[in-house]
Amino acid sequence: MSQNPDQSPSGTAREAQAPAPISFEAQILALLPTLRRYSRSLTRSDTESEDLLQDCVEKALLSRAQWRGSNFKSWAYRIMTNLHLNARRSIARRPSVGIEEAETVAAGTSADDPLEKNRLVQALETLPKEARAVLILVVVEGYAYQEVADMLDIPVGTVMSRLSRARQALREKMREENVIPLRRPR
Amino acid sequence: MTEARSVSEAELHAYADGFLDEADRARVQSFLAENPEAAQMVSDWQDQNEELRAAFAGHERSKLSDIRLLSGGLARAGTRPSRRLALAAAAVLIFAAGALGGHYGPLLFEPADIRLTYAEILPREARTAFLVYASEVRHPVEVFANEETHLATWLGKRLSIANLKVPNLQGQGFKLVGGRLLPVGGKPGALFMYEDQGGQRLTVLVGRNKENRTTSFRFASANSVETFYWIDGELGYAVTGEISRDMLRRIAEECYRQFPS
Repeated sequence: MSQNPDQSPSGTAREAQAPAPISFEAQILALLPTLRRYSRSLTRSDTESEDLLQDCVEKALLSRAQWRGSNFKSWAYRIMTNLHLNARRSIARRPSVGIEEAETVAAGTSADDPLEKNRLVQALETLPKEARAVLILVVVEGYAYQEVADMLDIPVGTVMSRLSRARQALREKMREENVIPLRRPR
Repeated sequence: MTEARSVSEAELHAYADGFLDEADRARVQSFLAENPEAAQMVSDWQDQNEELRAAFAGHERSKLSDIRLLSGGLARAGTRPSRRLALAAAAVLIFAAGALGGHYGPLLFEPADIRLTYAEILPREARTAFLVYASEVRHPVEVFANEETHLATWLGKRLSIANLKVPNLQGQGFKLVGGRLLPVGGKPGALFMYEDQGGQRLTVLVGRNKENRTTSFRFASANSVETFYWIDGELGYAVTGEISRDMLRRIAEECYRQFPS
């Protein structure tokens, strides 16, 4: 039912009747923008983010046989989350984008990157990876608590406690930082 | 009555995240009204939510290197995609880029700035051309579909595109009405018009800009008129119509596939 109908030789005949089922590769491509956002929200820099995204795409392609035809997005998010949580910090990262590719990157706004200034995002860096992932999945990616629990194979109670910890920590961090403006200006 | 029941922390989170139904929401609200500390906490969470969403929203975007990301992954994963699949993937990428560009689309139709980039000019002119010409009953185009070869040669010459082909959108249910020459960013451009069996029209605009160096895919909408446009080197393309984004996606896929790269 859900096994890759696009590989079938009868592709052309099928195409005549709109709309064609979307291929596995095309599903990944279509998902890349949101995956990129998720990847960036888990990591500390654009470089780390693109590395994680690349690893996730590769892993998804390798594990395509394991996709059961259920929600593709959740499946891909699960792969990315696991890759990120299991990654060792010591792994040497390869350079992500060559200089020639940099030119073809879609018109972006790296100069006024909101992440550069956002204090909350800096506070995010202080959270444990697991708590951060749960917070992001709920808040930015819009998953329900139970969906996060299913995705990460943890009880929903654990989702709640991680969420709670993340929120409290951010709150404290932000409060702490609210004191900083009292510093003497240079 | 209901207020008497205490509210759990999980419910406070669900409240902040908008997961509660109306009755529970009301109950939490009346609890918060009596507990200013909890109310402050929940309000801080909600601020966090908004700030986090805003911080990462800009990262939801496509890059032209995405196709390479995928093909690189395919190579390493030891599987080989057919060219057809790669093309389909490329087409879907356009839509992905387009759908998310929708957030920013309306901005593109704000009053003109002093200096507009080509990427800003293109969707405006595409939309204007659609609004002006698609509503024409008798003279929607200069050259009608019965002279398609002439149309292609003529506009190809004006745009300096060798072998310009008029996209065939029959597979999507749209028949060529014809085309016309029109200015795009002050230079000669081409407009192709199509209509479906119900008379619903859409336009495909092609323009050239030698100074253009950027490449991008975007989606813009204003009122009910949707425009999907992309810039590929010196050439800019825009598909416009009062049709669903899903249909526009399919049209854009098809045009991207058929235009010379």
